Amino acid sequence: MFRIPKIAYIATVVLLLTGCAAKSSNDLVLVTHDSIVISKSLIASFEKSSGLKLTIVKAGDAGALTNKLVLTKGDPIADALYGIDNTFIGKAEDNGILAKSTVTAIDYADICFNYDKAWFEAHAIATPKTWLELTQPRYKNLTVIENPTTSSTGLGFLAATVARFGEGKWQTFWSALKANGVKVDAGWEDAYYTDFSGSAGKGDYPIVLSYSSSPADEANTAAILDGCFRQTEYAATLTGSKNPTGAAKLIEWLGSLEFQNSMPASMYVYPINKKAAIPESWATKAPEATSSLGENLKISQRREAWLKQWGNLFG
Amino acid sequence: MAKKLIWAIPMIFIGVLFYWPLATILGRGFTHEWVHDIFDPKTLDVLWFTFWQAIVSTAICLLLGVPGAYILYRRKFRGQKILRALITVPFMLPTVVVATAFSSFHKWNTTSAIWIIVAHVFINYSLAVRTIGSQWSELDRSTEEAAELAGAGRLRAFVSITLPQLRGAFIAAAATIFLYCATSYGIILMVGGGLIHSLETDIARAAIGMLDLPRTSALALLQTLLSIVAFTISIRRGNSDVDFDGEGDGVNRSRIDRRDLPALLLTGLVILGLLLVPMVSIFWRAFDSSKGAFYNFTQFNSHGYRDLLNVSVLQATQNSLRNMLVSACISLLIGVLLAWLMGRSKCTRASRFFDLLLLMPLGISTVVLGLGYLVTFSNPLFPLRESWLAVPLIQSVIAVPLVMRIVRPAIVGINAAQLESAATEGASRAQIWQLIELPLIRKSVVAAAAFACLISIGEFGVASLLAFGDQATLPTVLYSLISRPGGDNYGMAMAVSALLMLFTFAVVLLVSLETPRRRRNPQNASA
Repeated sequence: MFRIPKIAYIATVVLLLTGCAAKSSNDLVLVTHDSIVISKSLIASFEKSSGLKLTIVKAGDAGALTNKLVLTKGDPIADALYGIDNTFIGKAEDNGILAKSTVTAIDYADICFNYDKAWFEAHAIATPKTWLELTQPRYKNLTVIENPTTSSTGLGFLAATVARFGEGKWQTFWSALKANGVKVDAGWEDAYYTDFSGSAGKGDYPIVLSYSSSPADEANTAAILDGCFRQTEYAATLTGSKNPTGAAKLIEWLGSLEFQNSMPASMYVYPINKKAAIPESWATKAPEATSSLGENLKISQRREAWLKQWGNLFG
Repeated sequence: MAKKLIWAIPMIFIGVLFYWPLATILGRGFTHEWVHDIFDPKTLDVLWFTFWQAIVSTAICLLLGVPGAYILYRRKFRGQKILRALITVPFMLPTVVVATAFSSFHKWNTTSAIWIIVAHVFINYSLAVRTIGSQWSELDRSTEEAAELAGAGRLRAFVSITLPQLRGAFIAAAATIFLYCATSYGIILMVGGGLIHSLETDIARAAIGMLDLPRTSALALLQTLLSIVAFTISIRRGNSDVDFDGEGDGVNRSRIDRRDLPALLLTGLVILGLLLVPMVSIFWRAFDSSKGAFYNFTQFNSHGYRDLLNVSVLQATQNSLRNMLVSACISLLIGVLLAWLMGRSKCTRASRFFDLLLLMPLGISTVVLGLGYLVTFSNPLFPLRESWLAVPLIQSVIAVPLVMRIVRPAIVGINAAQLESAATEGASRAQIWQLIELPLIRKSVVAAAAFACLISIGEFGVASLLAFGDQATLPTVLYSLISRPGGDNYGMAMAVSALLMLFTFAVVLLVSLETPRRRRNPQNASA
């Protein structure tokens, strides 16, 4: 006897019922991008002090995160947001997905090129002093970067080149970069862990677009600290949040020393709170950039035009 | 009258869960920019790549498929059945697993397009072999033999006599393979590394990357038109019904002989080199860890390196299995109902149009559909988006057309006279269904169930948009792991792939080893 239909009816009804269970008012949902790390003990400590039940939803890279929130505007998938950076916050504000008064800077990081010191010693080639040199023949086929369309790291560098050369002129530099055999990966992890020779992945490329803090964890690498892009990450309450008071508590906690102290070790970013502790080794191994550029551009308005032009060169 | 009411169930199902969200998302982008977007040179580039890679992949599949069909369906040898099941595995594998296998083979941007085509051939090779093979095995051998006796070589006899008779199968296979390659998402996204774009990945980029709804809608419409053309061809020119395990155990098969050597070698090479190497390499890498062979599998309880995942692999497995059960049940109920309704209706212009309407979910970008759900079902009246049910529901919408096409031939094959005589003898409608019809179509229902399960387990486009937070499924977890390969993530990705592969292999083997039952009832044959 063939019984599947009966079981199917029962299973469907039961699952429909359980699927519609309501959520309690103590619940707080935080949405972040995939690279944010908040340890279990920190979450437990926040839950204990606030009396809230915190759920963290990772919703893709920074761009996908922003766009998903814009698409679900008014009935957001979370109460609070952490991890939106200065390249995307304009877009989020223009679309009215954030409660403006709640937007708070939490951390920052400098997007700089890193190189593998051992590789350059072994091949007796001078290390690059600025990324302007990356179009030179001696650095041919040595550099891996992230695609600015899919990665905020890549976008930060694109903004830096626009700031350095000006609208309409940066394309020449990028053409030269392409002609010099730059490799473009979809995301930072791919570039850093798979293709960079200085990381555990032992890839084929001794120069990678990463962060000024990355060498803190890789002994034989260094960063080019000149002409970096400073990326600042924000937290905010989402418009239409079901728990705005809870969201406000969480944002306050993200700025507190308890959380700020944990950030260098867990996410390789600098805490925005100047009182927060930074590991001593960072002073020599992971100093901040000596100069940065591109942050004052109207990134959210120009992004699509830039990416279109960049896509014409690399697409 | 009652039958009309029953028709309403699948119509409402597909109308609410497919056409409504589709219309909403397409409607959002329908502005004056829309025409401009279609004739944008960038769009034409994308269209051109979608087209040529699909054509080339299809052509290679058909070329390699002919000797494959000949060896596996026209000749007879020991172990043939296992081989037939084996070549089906790539077609059934989650695309994310296939992409994982191939994305680690290449290192250079320039050859990505080639690897995309190789991956498409890997997936669709069996479709060509099965479609051509099952028709070939039904062909009469006498004309070919007569031609050979008259001095024509085997190749010439094939070209002048067999090939024209296989025309229908060729067209059907070509249309289907073209469609799968033209709408493929995971493969192009992952193997192309974000630099190569087809319509499907460009839709995702326009929507999620750029939030450019006019462009999304323009591209989605182009893809819909492409799908309609391919479907119309496959419905009109070939048999669009799916034969899961391609019976083909006719009397027309003879043993392999020495003159089959070229075809045998080529097919062996394809199966070993193209199909087995990528699958074995995944297994090898899953167990290749400096911390012990099973280390990667012991990490299933963790959330990955630097807490990447919202859920552990174990929780994702639970989600995937739950989605699979729900979506398979729903698509079986609706699909069998539709097969029964369609199988019992006359073939009219209206029914053919309805057939096309039902097929559309197969050719629509899952990304567009997922976006449609995001914007359609986020109102408080119909808060489907917040529920985990959204993902299995869309998966069942995608599976329904396939379920229907697998079950329908079996229902059409039931002898109407037998049902009538049962009815005259006083059997109720329910009794007839349970005692006569169901046992006769049992095998195709099992096959359809397997198909529906595998679609749900491997589905990636929709889940990547709608499986938020703790609802992550195995393919979305796998994608996260493989795109962030630091720490233990890479090894975990390989282990997840290996498990999904084993699961697929088990399902395919189970279905194809199920004892074949004759569709015709001996009593009817004598009557």
